[in-house]
Amino acid sequence: MNVLVILAVVAALIGLRFVKPGMLVWLAAWWVGCYVALRYGFSTPVPVSVIKLYMGIVTLSLTAYALADSERWAQVRDPLTAFMTERRYQAWLVVVALLIPALFAVRIYAQMTSDPQAPSFARTVHPAPPDSITVHDTEYPLGTQDNPYRHLENDDPEAFAGRVVNGRQIYYENCFYCHGDLMAGDGMFIHGLNPIPTSFQDPGTIPMLREAFLFWRIAKGAPGLPEEGGPWQSAMPAWEQFLTEEEMWNVILFLYEFTDSKPRAVEELH
Amino acid sequence: MSGVAKSLTLLLLVAVAAPLTAQTDGQAIYAKYCSQCHGENGDGQGIAARFLKPEPRDFTSGKYKIRSTETGNLPTDADLERVVKIGLPYTSMPAFPNLTNAQVSAVVGHLKTFSADFEDPELAPEPIPLPSPPSYSEEGAAKGREVYEATGCARCHGTLGRGDGTSAPTLTDDWGNHIRAANLSMPWTFRGGGTRQDIFRTMSTGFNGTPMPGFYGALPEEDIWSIVDFIVSLSGNTVEEPYANLVRSIATRESLELTDDLFSEAPTTVLPIVGQIIEPGRNFYPSIIAVGVQAIHNHKDVAFRLRWHDMRAETAGTNAPDLPAPLWDDELAALGQLEETGSGDDEEGFWGDEEAGGDDEDFWGEATVSEEADSGDFWGDDAAPDDAAGEAGDDFWGEETGSEDAGGGDDFWGEGDAEPAAVTTPETEFSDAVALQFPLEMPQGIRLPYFLLGDTQNAVQLWHADLGANASSAWVARGSAAVSPGDSEPPKMTARYEDGEWSVLFKQPRRPQTGLTFEEGAFIPLAVTVWDGFNRERGNRRGLTPWYHLYLEPLEKPSSVRPMLKAGLGVLGLELLIIGFVRMRKRSRRPDVLRS
Repeated sequence: MNVLVILAVVAALIGLRFVKPGMLVWLAAWWVGCYVALRYGFSTPVPVSVIKLYMGIVTLSLTAYALADSERWAQVRDPLTAFMTERRYQAWLVVVALLIPALFAVRIYAQMTSDPQAPSFARTVHPAPPDSITVHDTEYPLGTQDNPYRHLENDDPEAFAGRVVNGRQIYYENCFYCHGDLMAGDGMFIHGLNPIPTSFQDPGTIPMLREAFLFWRIAKGAPGLPEEGGPWQSAMPAWEQFLTEEEMWNVILFLYEFTDSKPRAVEELH
Repeated sequence: MSGVAKSLTLLLLVAVAAPLTAQTDGQAIYAKYCSQCHGENGDGQGIAARFLKPEPRDFTSGKYKIRSTETGNLPTDADLERVVKIGLPYTSMPAFPNLTNAQVSAVVGHLKTFSADFEDPELAPEPIPLPSPPSYSEEGAAKGREVYEATGCARCHGTLGRGDGTSAPTLTDDWGNHIRAANLSMPWTFRGGGTRQDIFRTMSTGFNGTPMPGFYGALPEEDIWSIVDFIVSLSGNTVEEPYANLVRSIATRESLELTDDLFSEAPTTVLPIVGQIIEPGRNFYPSIIAVGVQAIHNHKDVAFRLRWHDMRAETAGTNAPDLPAPLWDDELAALGQLEETGSGDDEEGFWGDEEAGGDDEDFWGEATVSEEADSGDFWGDDAAPDDAAGEAGDDFWGEETGSEDAGGGDDFWGEGDAEPAAVTTPETEFSDAVALQFPLEMPQGIRLPYFLLGDTQNAVQLWHADLGANASSAWVARGSAAVSPGDSEPPKMTARYEDGEWSVLFKQPRRPQTGLTFEEGAFIPLAVTVWDGFNRERGNRRGLTPWYHLYLEPLEKPSSVRPMLKAGLGVLGLELLIIGFVRMRKRSRRPDVLRS
């Protein structure tokens, strides 16, 4: 979030209040303000399609606001009507009437001559897991499965610490090439990967997920993703090829330990 | 300021600093962030070390690469802190932006404890002067080329700086591990940084523990700057990663003769290569950094040129996509040992004061890579016309750099004619190879085959070139376990290795009888695999890319005039309608207005 941009927009709108502009200017200011906030107000750029969608909603809302009250509507309508009918505006009217089609034509030209863009696939990053998975002939019901070693954290801290150490070894033998030394999803191979690996430091990832979800993602990798996850392009290996279940559970313990986070608990069904 | 205020400030500082010391325990930070690679004892033998190349630094040696001090000297604290903060590009040493300055100095303090040298006041590091860089000049680069040759840089780094010098395959670090000479045409991979100032520092100080010497005091400052200019010219001033994700095939009406000239107008898309570490055959240290891809098509055929920098052309042995490769292996370590015995284990004498006879005549002298390649006339009649000198310079970053033979003669390494230990480089079992991967059928919708050789439902095809046999073949794969020769005609292929660069040309009909057709305007998934035989890459032990896209530009570009007119007039018409409507209403309403 670029706070400065948002603040500037808010300040401009407040400032406009003191000028007491006409309704038409108000609506235009709101429209532009919303656009600026959406386009420049976020540090991660908002996709163009999303901006278009939101600006459509903004346009509809502003129209509804203008139409809801006949006095307000008159304030919008009258200057427009005057512009289109009164003789003193005639020269400007001609200019504007020609400028708008010209802008459309320029846009068409830009579209037709622009460089082709590679198609992109908007994959679901954390798709819904299956009910159960089978790893090395053992079935794991993902809905109820917990990390079988999580309880050691309280019951036997020493054994727990040993498992974290084992998980650390597995991580630095297998995972950090992509997920990075700091688990920020920035390993040494990421310049050649698309999609880029998950950052476990992102609070939207492992703290929001249950350990069974991680177990599924680790054991089955990209080939085990449902279609919406784009199983054909993720570079996540199916770790059941290389690791035992115990090792996978240990590495999960390590992920939470290193990032100082807690897994999401199983929800109680009432 | 009064004494009271001073002591109050001091008290405050102590109070603030107290909790900080808990966080700036260098040993604890080292244990959490460093020991997995550099080892608990700082000896570079951490749990991840065996998978890494270049190997993690052995701190007990006190030998550090990136320094501001003269060659052979210890680094300053600031040097070490800089590396911890920004990392070493294209190695497993990451940046640690999460650590505060205090934490970084604490961990640097801790790693200095691993070597007693840091306690010796006689060895206290003194930075050398690093002047601010003069601006780049063509004359500087031209002079730099001469100094580069005369100084002997080309012996390791190659004539055009592609890390392909004649001695590059034999280089070892002080621990006996094979070490690659930097590819000077890719500044974004430079361990010491890619700016002019960085390159000047690296040139001046050298990399301790490696064969890279420091030239501070050995070369005049302006000569070092001219070499810097030459190195900058090798990349065409491309400092940042030049990677893109779309290969654009240009259209032509001419027939497609498979020569390098064919691609002179085609834009190059540089695709980064990473190791296949997803399935058995895991390749943790692929040696090829990037592949430049170009494409051109006419109404009948489509042709590709793939270019990449390779330390040496491996033309002995064989390679194929289905060769078995172990889960991962220590073969490279074994290879390192081979080299060690081969080079006579002469770490000290490696640079040539040691007079060691050898059959390998003129090892340092005139023998250049291109001559080596030519001498065997390996490519026989298929070889592209040898208009090399100009061609080779047309490198894929787009900068013209002429090609001249490396001169022998007097140079930095002293006795120009002295020959070092005869180096017998290991015979390679595996040749270099490359493959283009496409879906077997054009995908319907978004679903593509698995980028790693497809899957059971979605097959891929490979256009493969074994550069040992100088032969191409077509393959079909439905996953790594189901890779088999395909039925279709193998693509037409020619290949050439020159000045450290492979250039492999493929051609296929755009509309084969079955399978994928290359239609204009469509986005066709494309992936690349390269195998470096020197690195023992074969089968699934390979360097690869994920899916990128190929776009065939239409031969006839549709004119934009008609759609522009259509849209413009349409909008104008709409406007006139609205204006007319408004005026009409106003006129008919005027009585109302008057009445009210």
